[in-house]
Amino acid sequence: MTDAVLLVDHEGNSARYFEALNPKILRSTDEVQSAFDTHSRRALWIVPKSSGMKPLSTLRGGRRGDHRLLCLGHIEGVRREILHAHFRFVVAPADGVKLLPIDEMAEVLAAPHREDLFIGGAVDTIDRALVLYRGSLEPLVVPLAWFARSGGPRPDPEDFEVADFGQTIRLGEFEAAADAILYEFDPEARRRSKKRAIAEDQSFGGALRRLRKERGVRREDFEGVSAKEIARLERGEVDKPHADTLHKIAKTLGVSADELETY
Amino acid sequence: MAYSFPLPVPWAARGWKAKIRDRERLEPPHVTILFRTKSWRWNLREGGFMDGSPDPKEVPPELVALIVANLAVLRAQWDVMYPENPISLREAGDD
Repeated sequence: MTDAVLLVDHEGNSARYFEALNPKILRSTDEVQSAFDTHSRRALWIVPKSSGMKPLSTLRGGRRGDHRLLCLGHIEGVRREILHAHFRFVVAPADGVKLLPIDEMAEVLAAPHREDLFIGGAVDTIDRALVLYRGSLEPLVVPLAWFARSGGPRPDPEDFEVADFGQTIRLGEFEAAADAILYEFDPEARRRSKKRAIAEDQSFGGALRRLRKERGVRREDFEGVSAKEIARLERGEVDKPHADTLHKIAKTLGVSADELETY
Repeated sequence: MAYSFPLPVPWAARGWKAKIRDRERLEPPHVTILFRTKSWRWNLREGGFMDGSPDPKEVPPELVALIVANLAVLRAQWDVMYPENPISLREAGDD
């Protein structure tokens, strides 16, 4: 990990969790302001306790660089809004946001692929969506409807947590794999995943089959394209379909024709 | 409900897990071996690790042997959880 890590720890008792990140420890208001002024690149700020928030909410100057803030204590109301004025992303356990335990959190932040792990999230039961925070602190919104599969178990949004060091999203007794979520909702993560695959079929047919399965679409469900034709494409007996056929396939699968091959 | 393959105590105590979760990437069918922030997908259809990173050599051979010895159980579990995408490949359009 190459980002600067700044740990605001005026009591000096939380640094041990984050040793692997090699953080610069800030103990006074002046040190915080100086770090804020001088770090122009991407920086991850960690505040282990709510009591360490004051130097941040009294920062002078507006947002600069790409500063991201993780607070492990609660922050409420206006203070949260102030922090959003200074930091590109703010993650803290407020308003229903649940985070990983501190030891798991520290390990995720130190992982080389931390953007592919989740550190927490919150359920919006009104809009039926889940916001998940990645190890890079970037949010990812997932509709709750995506989790349930026809005939499968029902996720319980009232009982949400991130588990397995950010690799599993638990909704009651229902569990979803983090890599499945990223594969569906983040094209960049999808590309990284394809690169890691040892012997994944990189052909158009392989992508068509994977996406069709993900969408729960049967071969006979494509309007204007026969099941036999879909089977031939998936087996690689036809290199790539005619533009018109490609458009029909992409439409049924709910993606653009260009996007289809990224699966 | 997610399926956790019951690993012997020494492995489980060290933090190793093997799971088929309720929402996985479907193709190909697989079991995921998890250890802290790392995971490895094992192909239930053809056998073998699916990803080159993290390095499959990091998974203890004894654990891999355990997965291989229990492939029938894991395959049956996948088919129960994902009847729409079973281990068997045959479907409409196949001759």
